[in-house]
Amino acid sequence: MLAVIIILAVVVLMVVVMYNSLIGKKNQVDNAFASIDVMLKKRYDLIPNLVSAVKTYMQHEKSVLTEITELRSKAMQSGLSDDEKIQLDNKISRALGGIMVAVENYPQLKANENFMHLQASLNEIEEQISAARRSYNASVTDYNNAIEMFPTNIFASMMGYKRKTLFEITEAERKNVDVNALFNS
Amino acid sequence: MKTLEEFKEFYQRELLPDITELEQQRKTTVSRVISVIIPLILITLAAVIFLPGDAKQFALFGGIGLVVVVFIGLTRQFVNDFKERVIRKIILFFDKGFRYRKEDYIPQAIFNSSTIFRKQPDAYSGEDRVTGIIGVTQIDFSEVKAQTVTRDSKGRKHYSTFFKGLFFIADFNKDFHTTTYVLPDTAERLFGGFGSFFQKRNMSRPDLVKLEDPEFEKLFVVYGEDQVESRYILSTSLMHRIVEYQKKTGRDLSISFRHSKMYVAIPYTKNLLEPKLFTTLLNFKVIQTYYDDLHLFLGIVEDLNLNTRIWSKQ
Repeated sequence: MLAVIIILAVVVLMVVVMYNSLIGKKNQVDNAFASIDVMLKKRYDLIPNLVSAVKTYMQHEKSVLTEITELRSKAMQSGLSDDEKIQLDNKISRALGGIMVAVENYPQLKANENFMHLQASLNEIEEQISAARRSYNASVTDYNNAIEMFPTNIFASMMGYKRKTLFEITEAERKNVDVNALFNS
Repeated sequence: MKTLEEFKEFYQRELLPDITELEQQRKTTVSRVISVIIPLILITLAAVIFLPGDAKQFALFGGIGLVVVVFIGLTRQFVNDFKERVIRKIILFFDKGFRYRKEDYIPQAIFNSSTIFRKQPDAYSGEDRVTGIIGVTQIDFSEVKAQTVTRDSKGRKHYSTFFKGLFFIADFNKDFHTTTYVLPDTAERLFGGFGSFFQKRNMSRPDLVKLEDPEFEKLFVVYGEDQVESRYILSTSLMHRIVEYQKKTGRDLSISFRHSKMYVAIPYTKNLLEPKLFTTLLNFKVIQTYYDDLHLFLGIVEDLNLNTRIWSKQ
């Protein structure tokens, strides 16, 4: 009788531990995604400063500047799905890259202290965003492993947990930035 | 960074006259040491053989102690002169702006604040401190020895060394607010994949940070207070550079990132930047070892790309 109780207690304990670890892992993924979000917001906050710093110099690239401002206001809207956020972010990355390349044509702007400071901040945020993405990927891997490995996979399927996808560099980002296309659009 | 070719030329031009003089001094020191130490050793041996019981032990320890003290006393002048005339010159050869103090070392408070080691030393010493700026990166390093002291039932002190080697501090090129540790991965080397089971449960360190670089992961275990910030510091390129640097040194590096600085501990059994009494100085290969050691230490800044300041920290 005692043996049965002990076995039962051990089984219950194991179930609780596995259940909790799955929930913990899922929350870790959400948490990691939220931290990407925070970094992205930081970047959006810099965009108005960047636009105002470069617009006096960049007369020919007005369209990129309006584009990035529009993208930013879209991205700041609440109620976007995760996929939409990622899409918008990719577009903004591309537009920012284009601006940075165009800056090369304006030596005066490049030497502007205000601009140099902005550029450093942007670099920093890029690096932070990439760190946040890597952190997200690490927690997704951890979560996916738990979902597919025995015995936690049994609970995962009962709880309706599905594999999550890793952040990957999008096709657009893998290609080199085509500045001309960007400015002519 | 100065090349070996430049050093060869510098050796011929600047060092050789000093070394020739020091070689004379070394020879006189050696003969003095031999004429004093050998009789001392013989007397000690005789005492140990002929004295009765407890006195044997007393004579042995007394004799060894005396030999050590006399040896240090006799060689001190030569060691000091060598450091002033050769080591200092080699350090200034790398950069005129460096400051070298042979008796100074990284203060214990700074060593402790790196928190690379969980233990705090009871006995702490060091020498050969070098400070300066490479490019835009501030550096500060010295040889350091950190020991814990325990007492046995008879009240005798026992010293155990938990770190001896080079302790290097460099200003890091990015700002950060939390602490990240990069430590040798002993658990995974011993237990394979099972090792990370123990690492996750290491209570005395912050959370385990799993990184993507498999080669880096094989060599190191990373703990960090903030998963994102640890990855911000350990960019993919820095991980690769740390692996390369570790291979170059052939030693187990322990690193902590704290207070926007990078603390690196490289263990050495040999006494760094010290002259060899019983080897001739008039051999370029002998002097080259000092150049090689310093080149390796100062190379941290370049090898880890710490001079790149494209982020907001200047």
